[in-house]
Amino acid sequence: MGSMFRGEEVALVQLFLPTAAAYTCVSQLGELGLVEFRDLNASVSAFQRRFVVDVRRCEELEKTFTFLQEEVRRAGLALPLPVGRLPAPPPRDLLRIQEETDRLAQELRDVRGNQQELRAQLHQLQLHEAVLGQSHGPPLAAAHTDGPSSERSPLLLPPGGPHQDLKVNFVAGAVEPHKAAALERLLWRACRGFLIASFQEMEQQLEDPVTGEPTRWMTFLISYWGEQIGQKIRKITACFHCHIFPFLEPEEARRGALQQLQQQSQELQEVLGETERFLSQVLGRVQQLLPAGQMQIRKMKAVYLALNQCSVSSTHKCLIAEAWCAVLDLPTLQQVLQDSSSEAGVSAVAHRIPCQDMPPTLIRTNRFTASFQGIVDAYGVGRYQEVNPAPYTIITFPFLFAVMFGDVGHGLLMFLFALAMVLAENRPAVKAAQNEIWQTFFGGRYLLLLMGLFSVYTGFIYNECFSRATTIFPSGWSVAAMANQSGWSDAYLARHSLLTLDPNISGVFLGPYPFGIDPVWSLATNHLSFLNSFKMKMSVILGVIHMAFGVILGVFNHVHFGQGHKLLLETLPELIFLLGLFGYLVFLVLYKWLCVKAADSASAPSILIHFINMFLFSSSPTNRPLYHAQEVVQYVLVVLALASVPVLLLGTPLYLLRRQRHLQRRPAGGQDEDKAKLMDSDACESGWGPDEKAGCSGDEKEAEQLIASEVFMHQAIHTIEFCLGCISNTASYLRLWALSLAHAQLSEVLWAMVMRVALSANLRVGVQAVVLVPVFAAFAVLTVAILLVMEGLSAFLHALRLHWVEFQNKFYSGTGYKLSPFTFAAEDE
Amino acid sequence: MLFASCAPETCARRTCPPRPRPAGHPGSDMTAHSFALPVIIFTTFWGLIGIAGPWFVPKGPNRGVIITMLVATAVCCYLFWLIAILAQLNPLFGPQLKNETIWYVRFLWE
Repeated sequence: MGSMFRGEEVALVQLFLPTAAAYTCVSQLGELGLVEFRDLNASVSAFQRRFVVDVRRCEELEKTFTFLQEEVRRAGLALPLPVGRLPAPPPRDLLRIQEETDRLAQELRDVRGNQQELRAQLHQLQLHEAVLGQSHGPPLAAAHTDGPSSERSPLLLPPGGPHQDLKVNFVAGAVEPHKAAALERLLWRACRGFLIASFQEMEQQLEDPVTGEPTRWMTFLISYWGEQIGQKIRKITACFHCHIFPFLEPEEARRGALQQLQQQSQELQEVLGETERFLSQVLGRVQQLLPAGQMQIRKMKAVYLALNQCSVSSTHKCLIAEAWCAVLDLPTLQQVLQDSSSEAGVSAVAHRIPCQDMPPTLIRTNRFTASFQGIVDAYGVGRYQEVNPAPYTIITFPFLFAVMFGDVGHGLLMFLFALAMVLAENRPAVKAAQNEIWQTFFGGRYLLLLMGLFSVYTGFIYNECFSRATTIFPSGWSVAAMANQSGWSDAYLARHSLLTLDPNISGVFLGPYPFGIDPVWSLATNHLSFLNSFKMKMSVILGVIHMAFGVILGVFNHVHFGQGHKLLLETLPELIFLLGLFGYLVFLVLYKWLCVKAADSASAPSILIHFINMFLFSSSPTNRPLYHAQEVVQYVLVVLALASVPVLLLGTPLYLLRRQRHLQRRPAGGQDEDKAKLMDSDACESGWGPDEKAGCSGDEKEAEQLIASEVFMHQAIHTIEFCLGCISNTASYLRLWALSLAHAQLSEVLWAMVMRVALSANLRVGVQAVVLVPVFAAFAVLTVAILLVMEGLSAFLHALRLHWVEFQNKFYSGTGYKLSPFTFAAEDE
Repeated sequence: MLFASCAPETCARRTCPPRPRPAGHPGSDMTAHSFALPVIIFTTFWGLIGIAGPWFVPKGPNRGVIITMLVATAVCCYLFWLIAILAQLNPLFGPQLKNETIWYVRFLWE
């Protein structure tokens, strides 16, 4: 069967790694992903472990890498993916990598700093140019026309005489646009008309050197007189963080200054260009170095973290590590250790040690079985060497889905979609897609493939293709025979709008349709009466068989773990209870299908009433028995089923307690092997694997002692769960009926309300063809959205629930943990 | 699908020529469906897949899984088909049809 039937055997191995070769060995193990290290230094904090210094250095390097990565991203460049698989570098290379990286980071920081400075300077120059360049009318006009003393216009009457002798001064600068109005207001309020201010927006937008946003600064020119006013103005402008530039009154001087500024800014721009070219060179070097470096350092850090989990031997010559390894991989492990430590002289060894705890579960899957194992593991990873439900789930899950989804058309669409994904699975574009919903569908492509395939099959059996039935074979019901023999003349038919075919009349019912449901039922108005009965009985039959299969799988668990007594004391009563009651129900259904003919239809026995009376030990006079000794058989079955309950409840605990008492009474000599056997079964009683002894060596004494109340309690819970569960789980399988009914009805409604309206509209051929196009589009969209996606998800969920609860609680505990080997594979992606 | 040779409107006026009917089936010329033949065919088919198929699976790491898949498929599909045909073997009531349906199916499915 391979390893999918139950998990592989996993052993605990002890590795002796010579100190010199420890790094290489662990690095090789990481490349192969063979073993899972156990932390031997769990009590030691992270800061006190042996290789903490190396780990810290790796982390510092990673910080530098992050900084470089951020810079590359800021410049709008992309980091290429690392090429090939680089192994973790030896420890002596760490220094070299560190130096290179630090050098690059320093260069990058310097260049960036220079660039910032230059840009700030350029910004200042540009502002100055703008301030000088723009003409501010009123203040200059005021300066020119109004002389220093007497030719003052009455508008500017100063409060006192002596002020008339003061010279007009200027303050020129630039302010951010959103502060301009506030500045103007404050200036006016503070200086009370002793100034004339003019604000103008700059013509071009300048890039802010810090944020990079283009903003339009406002330049202003303030003319004032009076020293105190001047001081006030300067304080106000300083408060508003305005840039103030010296303003020369004579026009030529200003023009000269402007020219000088322009020259300066040109030179500055050249220098800036050079700086940016150098920056891109540095970034190019970073792009080359970074991907490989990041991967190498990540691997190195992982190796050191793994080495931190090893303990040091007493001689300090080698490291001791404990790891879980699959037994089949042990030879490979030995080989790898030998190869890696060949230069060190002393070779590393690994040998198996007995394990105290439950080993992890390892089940190897390929890309087909992985999705099915995934849905089993989503419920819970199996205990060590427990029977794995996945190989059966590969078929039963799509089958139960298809029972709820059965439609040829919808199944075909789902199958084709999955087929497209499967055929395109190796394309890199498909693998690199980031959309999560697509990834979910893509991961389950084999699941969808099987689900679609089975849905096509069940669609043929239900005889539904987009809710339409097909007559591949001729129908088994003859309407003509009924009409001719019952005298259904045209007048008679016109008077009666609904007429029923009677199977008792010869020639009307010609035999069962050979493959699936007869197509006449899709034309009948009472088709639900027939289909409901059929689907309910089908659900119960499938459910009882599925659950019985689950109980039988439990047999393999009992045999493997050496709990033979459970076969007689648990499996047998369980089977008697399940099959005696619900297996008998299935028998009744089959018997009625085979033996109750149409001629007796008036007095046909009701299975439901028989089943109820079976439990109540009573009988209904109007309900005739199905077969001759029915009452006796039912009586016997109920008694057997009720008798199996106390066996299930008390059998195993009493057996275990009696065995313990026997062993305690025996002499000490024979006790050791029996002790081992008892501890095995104790251990198994609490549910562990065969290799495991309960607890550490110190607890052997307590392990012998079975606590009676615990054992009885555990068994009582199991019994109640099983017996009540039988009833509720059988009823739970009726969801197969409910969902298939819902799907059929939704599909029917969509056809009747959308497509049929367009197909049966009595329009001219050309017009109807045109009308059909949008109607079909609506039909297609609604089919995909409602019937495929919504109903598909719903049926998926319910099939999953049936597996997880109704099937798996008969034999699967799912309380293990997976073997997660030490591997670099996740980082290579 | 079987199509009538004449349109329903003309048939309703009973101008169709009478057709020869096989003996033993008054009022129709449809042949009876046997029950034994489909059972034999499908039992053989799924039996080949489920019982004989496993012998032909090539040796390899996936042999166990493929055998399980074949057997499970055969069991599930055979069981489902069997339930469908057994449910229709002895019908206790027949389909209730609208008179329009009777008018055209009566002659369509002959």
